[in-house]
Amino acid sequence: MSDESNAPAVMTFEVLKAAVRDGAAARLGRLALAGRKTVIDTPNYFANTSRGTVPHVTPDNISKHLQTGGAYMALEDFIEKPQQYSTRRPPIYDTPTPVPPAKALHNFTAMPPSVITILGARRLPAVPSPMGNSNKSVSVFTSTGFQVLATDEYQAAVQALKPDIAVPLADLTNHTMTPTSKRALRMAERTDDWIKAWFAEQDAVNAEANPTTRVSTFAPVLPINYSIQWEYLERLAEDHFHSLSGLAVYDPDVLPDIASGYPDLLKLPQLSLAAPVTPHHVLRQITLGIDVFVLPFINAVSDSGVALTFSFPPPPSQSTTNPNNEKTGTPGILPLGIDMSSTAHQTDLSPLVDSCTCYTCTSHHRAFIQHLLSAREMLGWTLLQIHNHAVMANFFAGIRQSLSSSSTTTDEEDNEFTKACAAFHTLYEPELPAGMGERPRARGYHFKSEGGKEKSGEKGGKRNKPAWTKFDDEKVTATGQQSSQPPN
Amino acid sequence: MWAAKRMASTMSASSAALTFELVAKCSTTRARASILTLPHGPVNLPMFMPVATQASLKGLTPEQLEATGCRLCLNNTYHLGLKPGQEVLDAVGGAHKLQGWNHNLLTDSGGFQMVSLLKLATITEEGVRFLSPHDGSPMLLTPEHSMSLQNSIGSDIMMQLDDVLVTTSPDAVRMREAMERSVRWLDRCIAAHKNPDRQNLFCIIQGGLDLDMRRECCREMVARDTPGIAIGGLSGGEAKDDFCKVVATCTELLPELKPRYVMGIGYPEDLVVSVALGADMFDCVWPTRTARFGNAVTKFGVLNIRREKYAADFGPIEEGCGCPCCRPAGEEGMMGITRAFVHHNAAKETVAAHLLTLHNVWYQLDLMRQAREAIIADRYPAFVRQFFEQLYPDRQSYPSWATTALRGVGIDLMDP
Repeated sequence: MSDESNAPAVMTFEVLKAAVRDGAAARLGRLALAGRKTVIDTPNYFANTSRGTVPHVTPDNISKHLQTGGAYMALEDFIEKPQQYSTRRPPIYDTPTPVPPAKALHNFTAMPPSVITILGARRLPAVPSPMGNSNKSVSVFTSTGFQVLATDEYQAAVQALKPDIAVPLADLTNHTMTPTSKRALRMAERTDDWIKAWFAEQDAVNAEANPTTRVSTFAPVLPINYSIQWEYLERLAEDHFHSLSGLAVYDPDVLPDIASGYPDLLKLPQLSLAAPVTPHHVLRQITLGIDVFVLPFINAVSDSGVALTFSFPPPPSQSTTNPNNEKTGTPGILPLGIDMSSTAHQTDLSPLVDSCTCYTCTSHHRAFIQHLLSAREMLGWTLLQIHNHAVMANFFAGIRQSLSSSSTTTDEEDNEFTKACAAFHTLYEPELPAGMGERPRARGYHFKSEGGKEKSGEKGGKRNKPAWTKFDDEKVTATGQQSSQPPN
Repeated sequence: MWAAKRMASTMSASSAALTFELVAKCSTTRARASILTLPHGPVNLPMFMPVATQASLKGLTPEQLEATGCRLCLNNTYHLGLKPGQEVLDAVGGAHKLQGWNHNLLTDSGGFQMVSLLKLATITEEGVRFLSPHDGSPMLLTPEHSMSLQNSIGSDIMMQLDDVLVTTSPDAVRMREAMERSVRWLDRCIAAHKNPDRQNLFCIIQGGLDLDMRRECCREMVARDTPGIAIGGLSGGEAKDDFCKVVATCTELLPELKPRYVMGIGYPEDLVVSVALGADMFDCVWPTRTARFGNAVTKFGVLNIRREKYAADFGPIEEGCGCPCCRPAGEEGMMGITRAFVHHNAAKETVAAHLLTLHNVWYQLDLMRQAREAIIADRYPAFVRQFFEQLYPDRQSYPSWATTALRGVGIDLMDP
């Protein structure tokens, strides 16, 4: 519940303890948002959303069963233009805000007041656009297709929606391929132009605004070499430092250079939008100085029917054996999660993780989750989401605990947190297990199908099995498994 | 086995695993309010039972379902027999334990799905013969097998295997055969039922739309003294007038101190009219299925929230509704969901389906709660009038089957 009397008037971030060494390194911090009572101890994570919801989790369950302090939302999830109503104004802009603090994004999405909202233009991860960006706009992907989003339109949206934190537009390719140096230079120049315009307006708006509806700006750090974007970073450090509330980092490997070039920027909270794919990657980014993460992999893992099982610091290695790994002859290596769709769990009445205190583990058991996944009941994904978010929340709590008890005087090698990280990398498998569970239907805004691959089933082809096929006696006998899913 | 007590204040009757207590009777219609105490606790009748087909109520956690006030929901024997299967159910210790549901469960016999979902199901005296959906091999569902499955599930109320025929079938000979066979199968079910001390077996009245055949079936079934009685074979496309006649004919003959369950009924009008005709329990997949198509059930009718007119409608799903979706955020556990938000995510994110499912289940349960209060206060006719006034723009739009059926039990909706 937000309680304005206890809420700070401006966003504050304090570094409680910079572990190990100065510069870009793991650290403990505390983030307090303007107008919200929620205090976020860092390192921590924010939930990723799809169309304003944490997938499969209704808002009442978010308040009751998720520990997340924030939710990342993408403007492209709210501004589609349906073909028959292509001129309509996106309804979200007309959200009434009868109760202060007047935050339209919160009201529209029914996000509990205890959860802060972070608005960016694109989903995480973003579908690359074939059109590319221009000097005055970026290309975004809505549920009705690609659309142009002008820079001033984005800023107007931020003003209308009043997220707690906004990430200004960055000129990104959203491609796994590294951009050419010419493209990288243009990325830096455009983003620099856009940030100037952003603050010109934002500073004026914030000067007028009621502190409780002030939007905090987390400026993007681009996923390109420091040497190409230093001028942009210099502008942030020198011209806009006092209007900046944090950095939205698309590549944490730039942070060591920022530490030497513009150390003041690291006084700000560092939000990773680099979408680490495993907890190992999360730990690495923490050691580079990231404070808060948005983690798309949690939902991907739940959708694949996997329950996360790791903890930090890791359990002592001698007491652990991994039955799944006997064949590779490397005892002691633990999986990061369990594929709950496996029939091995069919009659297993134990919780997903023995010591876990989440709703799923205290009220249900493996046999039920296995049944739900096998029957493709939506509740399976809901219960996995609740558990997997609990595992992540505990993972970050363990990291904070370890950081706070780490000595800052000893050598980096002897530091408790460093040793726990090393033990984690040794004990756990490098990759998350691939769940064999059938995933929820992928929707048009989740991916872009690519021509020519429709039939082949390779990446980019059809993502969903056809829900219905022609009734055919021979087929029924041949593929009996398919028809064992009658409607209710 | 069946002991009826008639006391000055209340009337109640119990069998080994069930107590039925009649709390109030409407002085005009046949509506009744009662308390049915089952192995997993008491439930208030009349009531609607939502359907958790595969041991899950379509995305709702058992905790959310419990919060709607639901204390008795359905599982389908046919589905649980396929997944997770009888062996797993035995190993886990039944369906309550499987789904973490500490309240009551009712299971059907499995026969209805065999007939409705499977091609080439043939019915013989032995049982229902069909092709396995797993491997196409011939299989047989007998009354004994159905009891065995439902004993493994451990449901608080089990249904007999019956010979179901579409009520509109013109074949009177086949209809009589089905009715008589259902009676014989009940005897086999009673003989095969292993846990009569902790699971209740209900009989099912058959006989199509032939009222005499229904009366005959009632007499046969009642003589077998099951703890509860269902009226089956309806909601299969028959005219609503015929449906009402069958329900009214059966309730007239059924013993007062046993619960009466009309199977497969779920539209709000059907519930309100059936209660007036003296029925107590109902189930239907419609409220939860229609939620997944983006439809909200409200006291003003069914709204398809996917329609464009709701895109910027920032009102609650139903004005004045007390469900966790519709009540304003800020109250404990309440979400303040708008139609615009449901529209935004309908058919896109599962959350929209979950929210409408929650609302629709709440609506159905609350409708029966209100009906019960009205019966206890002896103002059920006024409740029925108000219900139809809210649902339809004017009296001319009232469905004639409803006005006719209600007139038969003393309510004239056209009275000034």
